[in-house]
Amino acid sequence: MAEKTIGVFDSAAGGKSVVKKVTPFLYLLPAFIIMGVITFYPMGYQVWMSFTDYGIKNIRVDAPLPDFVGLKNYINILTTNLGLSSFNFWRTLAFNLWWTFSNVIFHVVFGIIIAVALNTEGLWFKRLYRVIYIIPIIIPQIIIANVFRNFFDPDYGALNQGMQLVGALFHLPPEMFHIRWIAQLDYPFPNIPLTLSYFALLITNIWLGWPFMTIIATGALQSIPKELFEAAEIDGATGWQKFWRITLPLIRPAMVPAAVYGIVVTFNLFTLIFFLSAGGPLRQTEILLTVAFRLVNEQRAYGVAAAFSIYVFLILLGLTLLTNYISKATESYDA
Amino acid sequence: MNKKLFALLSLLVLASMLLAACGGTAAATEPPAATEPPATQPPAATEPPATEPPATEPVTVTIWHSYHPDENEEKAFNQILDLYKAQNPDVTVDVLYVPFDQLANKWSTEVAAGGGPDMFTMPNDDLGNWIRGGLVAPVDEFVAGKLDGFSDLAVQGVTYDGQMYAIPGIAKAVGLFYNKSLVETAPTTTDELLAQVEEGKVLVMRPYAYHLYGILTGSFGGTLMDETGKCVADQAGFAEAFDYLKALKDAGALFEPDEGKANSMFTDGTAAFILTGPWMLGTFQEALGDDLGVVPLPAGPGSTATPLTGIDGWYLNPNSANQQAAVDFALFAFGPEGAKIYADVAGAPMGRTDIEINDPMIAAFADIANAGFPRPQSAEFGNWWGAFDDATTKVLEGQSDGATAVAEACAAMNTANNK
Repeated sequence: MAEKTIGVFDSAAGGKSVVKKVTPFLYLLPAFIIMGVITFYPMGYQVWMSFTDYGIKNIRVDAPLPDFVGLKNYINILTTNLGLSSFNFWRTLAFNLWWTFSNVIFHVVFGIIIAVALNTEGLWFKRLYRVIYIIPIIIPQIIIANVFRNFFDPDYGALNQGMQLVGALFHLPPEMFHIRWIAQLDYPFPNIPLTLSYFALLITNIWLGWPFMTIIATGALQSIPKELFEAAEIDGATGWQKFWRITLPLIRPAMVPAAVYGIVVTFNLFTLIFFLSAGGPLRQTEILLTVAFRLVNEQRAYGVAAAFSIYVFLILLGLTLLTNYISKATESYDA
Repeated sequence: MNKKLFALLSLLVLASMLLAACGGTAAATEPPAATEPPATQPPAATEPPATEPPATEPVTVTIWHSYHPDENEEKAFNQILDLYKAQNPDVTVDVLYVPFDQLANKWSTEVAAGGGPDMFTMPNDDLGNWIRGGLVAPVDEFVAGKLDGFSDLAVQGVTYDGQMYAIPGIAKAVGLFYNKSLVETAPTTTDELLAQVEEGKVLVMRPYAYHLYGILTGSFGGTLMDETGKCVADQAGFAEAFDYLKALKDAGALFEPDEGKANSMFTDGTAAFILTGPWMLGTFQEALGDDLGVVPLPAGPGSTATPLTGIDGWYLNPNSANQQAAVDFALFAFGPEGAKIYADVAGAPMGRTDIEINDPMIAAFADIANAGFPRPQSAEFGNWWGAFDDATTKVLEGQSDGATAVAEACAAMNTANNK
């Protein structure tokens, strides 16, 4: 019998395995190429930029390359040696973290409560509520920021005027409600270093954030089998016990990733903060991202802004890993 | 049958949208039989008496501006465009409106990448940065011999390191508008202004370093930077000036960051005084008519006020392929004919010596601009804005007194400048 040469693609020689190994990568290749150009190359470029003194003199495509300065940008940021007035890196970082967690806690709590309320049997207009509660998510954030900035206006804002109307019913003078939500520098609560603009932002972001948590919680609630609740009823559980012992643990697998997502999004909530308070009076409500943006636009310090963004990345990476670790350690209802 | 009908209808809708998008080009205006020579031709030119620009083949000049639609500056600009197209039928001028806060960014991004339009116009606020970034080209070679009529202040405002970087036009500096029906005699000194505010006349101004520069420096004798660019504001004048502003606020003056709110307070008569610039002249004249008056910022213990004088210019793209044609357009727009239209229609004080200013308000603003301080273009100056805006906020909110705020601002500015 003549020997037949067995090629790579012949099935008899097991050549199919080579094709099998290569094919998935071939399918992924176009996506890798596009992501490489659009995502990974700019990210690598930014890391390189953060080690240089990139400035406006280097901005043209044919301009000379900037000088390498090593870790100078990173150190200057940590020691607040940037010459940005009223800026303190550690205060901004602390505010950023506080902003994130205070918001997400409200979002998750309100989201779950409203989802449970919407899930009650025989609630009228359930579909209507579901529709209108989506509205905060679909309106673009910049529009929300501008509308709420007008809402908080000291002279003509709806909030102050509404409070004046209500106050008139109690014979309170309208001057009492001329609250300068965004511009006031003095802290409203004596020992808490948070300005009124933080509270204005908090109110706005709570309005913005709970619908997402409600949607996730609703989906998770509907997957809880009814028999569990019936069994609990038979055993004599109160409503509160049913909520605490059945509902919450069973929606946790869905809410934890949602909370992590909420943390990441809120940490970087640039649009709302920049267009509502512009970083607040004297940078009191700045987050890291708004400082980086202003570094680019006002000081043209591109290298420093790149180092800033690397810090944001590292902090968020740490936060995500930490929350993942915590949620895995407490997840006890996994199948 | 229904499906076919629906498909046909959709096709018709698509086709009509395409037609609407592609149609509608403006018909070129026929030039009059005898065209007057454009003002850009130098008197001793050796060019032939034909009035067309040197290129006989059609040239397209692309320009960007940020004149607000329906404001007077835009109306003036459209008139100038029509006039120029009538006189130069070979030149097509493509115009794009970009909102003011995006224009510089858009220009920088596109020019840095190697593209961009031929010219754009903006105040010379950021000119120093554009020059250092290589984003605007020197225009000396294109304007040689054609600069008759431009005032020295205007040319100086766009010159850096001995080279001109723009065709200069409108010279702007802030002054004090007042409502004659509410104010009998306008204040000329800081004490008079404070007295009138204490009487109950409302003064409104925006709490930004730009608007306050004239008072911080000239009126109270302060100097911002020395020759090396180091901040010396803490040595004289600034602290007293900030304390004066706080006194104004305590007496009832309103410091309103929102420009629209501040302007409406003046136009509806709530405020008797407003500190702003000539760009509002047209709007205020429409609202107040003969009741509108303007005076320079009040003089103080130091000297007369020296507000920052900015020059609007037409800047040239280094990547442009039609540089001479673009500059010719700019020389027309800010030349005698164009400048007259800017002055009459838009109320803009022009930096020229050869046009008649009939309107006393525009003449007043021209004087204010001439007495002002030409805006520095150094890199160090760029770092004063944030620091002194914050100092203004701190003083006006009562968080610190003038001396402390100025010292902090100076320290921040020097750190940013490595001085």
